[in-house]
Amino acid sequence: MPPRPGRDGPLRRPGQATVGTVHTGEGASPNFGRLYKPAERSAVDYWVMKTLPRQIVAFGGGGFSMESGNPLLDDYVLGLSPAERPRVCFLPSASGDADHYIVRFYRAFSADRCEASHISLFRREQGPADLRRHLLSQDLIYVGGGSVISLLGVWRAHGIDEILREAWEAGVVLCGLSAGSLCWFADAVTGFHGEPQRVEGLGLLPFSNCVHYERDSKRRTSYHAFLREGMRAGYAAEDGAALHFTGTELSRVIASRPAARGYRLDVAGRRVVEMRIATTYLGENSTATALPIPEALSTAVAA
Amino acid sequence: MVRRILALGGHDFTSRPPDRAVSELMLRLATERAGRRPKICILPTASGDTSDQIGRFYASFGERPCEPSDLSLFRLGRRPMALRDHLLEQDLIYVGGGSLVNLLAVWEAHEIGAIVALAWRQGIVLAGQSAGAMCWFEAGITKSSGKPLAAAGLGLLHGSLCVHYNNEPERRAAYLEAVSEGMPGGYGLDDYAGLLWEGEGTPSAFTARRGARAYRVAVNGTGVVESPLPARFLPAPAPAALREDIAEFRRITAMRKGAGWLG
Repeated sequence: MPPRPGRDGPLRRPGQATVGTVHTGEGASPNFGRLYKPAERSAVDYWVMKTLPRQIVAFGGGGFSMESGNPLLDDYVLGLSPAERPRVCFLPSASGDADHYIVRFYRAFSADRCEASHISLFRREQGPADLRRHLLSQDLIYVGGGSVISLLGVWRAHGIDEILREAWEAGVVLCGLSAGSLCWFADAVTGFHGEPQRVEGLGLLPFSNCVHYERDSKRRTSYHAFLREGMRAGYAAEDGAALHFTGTELSRVIASRPAARGYRLDVAGRRVVEMRIATTYLGENSTATALPIPEALSTAVAA
Repeated sequence: MVRRILALGGHDFTSRPPDRAVSELMLRLATERAGRRPKICILPTASGDTSDQIGRFYASFGERPCEPSDLSLFRLGRRPMALRDHLLEQDLIYVGGGSLVNLLAVWEAHEIGAIVALAWRQGIVLAGQSAGAMCWFEAGITKSSGKPLAAAGLGLLHGSLCVHYNNEPERRAAYLEAVSEGMPGGYGLDDYAGLLWEGEGTPSAFTARRGARAYRVAVNGTGVVESPLPARFLPAPAPAALREDIAEFRRITAMRKGAGWLG
């Protein structure tokens, strides 16, 4: 096998510059960082680079777990790999490695288009013995939904947290929905265990995150409350929307449903500033790529 | 408050006699603590909360005089529960088998360890098999990562435990090696052998299947020594259907006596 960029070559160090100039978005605050990248960057030019960029695609909800019959988000993450049959590993840890979930993954990621595998941390005797080697050899690591608290506990016990950071730095694309989105961020809002609560994630992305960010949801109200209490600024995504980060910068928001959106949240004084981000619908008539520019600005008044 | 822990080397919730004997012992301990219809909760965390383990537990206790429940940390999304309140109102907390490493990691993430320790001090019976038995000790031998390795437990009980002792020879070998290399000594339990701690002091050993044994494993001057412990045999209760038939017969007999029909 010929050496593959970013995997067999030297590892990227965190903070190492990625190609392309980064523009600072309007309204960027010191604790938030930069918002969008120029238009000439697109997913297809990644593979010509010497080293692969670090990429995370965080779904607010969606993919095979939630949108049976709508493969748009799953197709998108598979398409990020230049390989003809990308290697995809599913981590169902947040569900307690539920059998039915693993079966659904293999149905969605069928052998004709990728080389699928999974790691069950509750049945280690059945899977690959060397977790690090297996995970670092993937093109895409797909994290399922469930309990983010349990997910992080189990990952830390098996050293998966460190391996995933290494994989990210080596250019393996990381993605997931729900708990599989929250885990990548420094701060997260989980609503899985009843009342929404704050959880510290792996911190690959130095923001806060809220998933299933629907209009009248408890998660949204709680997220705003946490922000007012000092939680760092961050991003939210509705079901069907996904936040695509290159490095630690949001490069685009994509969606499997025409109306689904991503949001950026910041705090100004005691006010939560919620900005809807321009989103690219991945379905029919989706030729134009939207820049992740805030398209509407609403200010949620402090409760 | 008497602190009780029931550690089992391995069992299942089936209708086979040794399994019934173990379930009956748990029911008896829970009833003693409750003084009424007891509450028994399974923590199936070590298995990843599999439906299979939960289903078998309910199949075993569902028809018995108790209130069974399950606390599935991976399923709280569909059924939120107040973890602490629920656990502290139980009479017996049963921990199922699976991955010892994952069990303790998930418990730590949800802060369950402190709750079960408090439950124990309050006299709530702690019980479990396999990973669910080793978790109460300072250390155990787990296959959580594939091959048998030493792992730390919660440490409510001194020493270590190795489960499935003669049933999984590679686990026993790993245990003996670990103890010879400085892991605290403790106990080896075959499937269907168990130890019951009631208050301070040494535990009592029992077996629910002929030939199953409990061992004390300790280091002396010459090396690691295994000594079988004298164990009480735990007979299986009559199957539920038969128990009901007997009760019915006794009721009829009593009625007839009361009516003077039998002279």
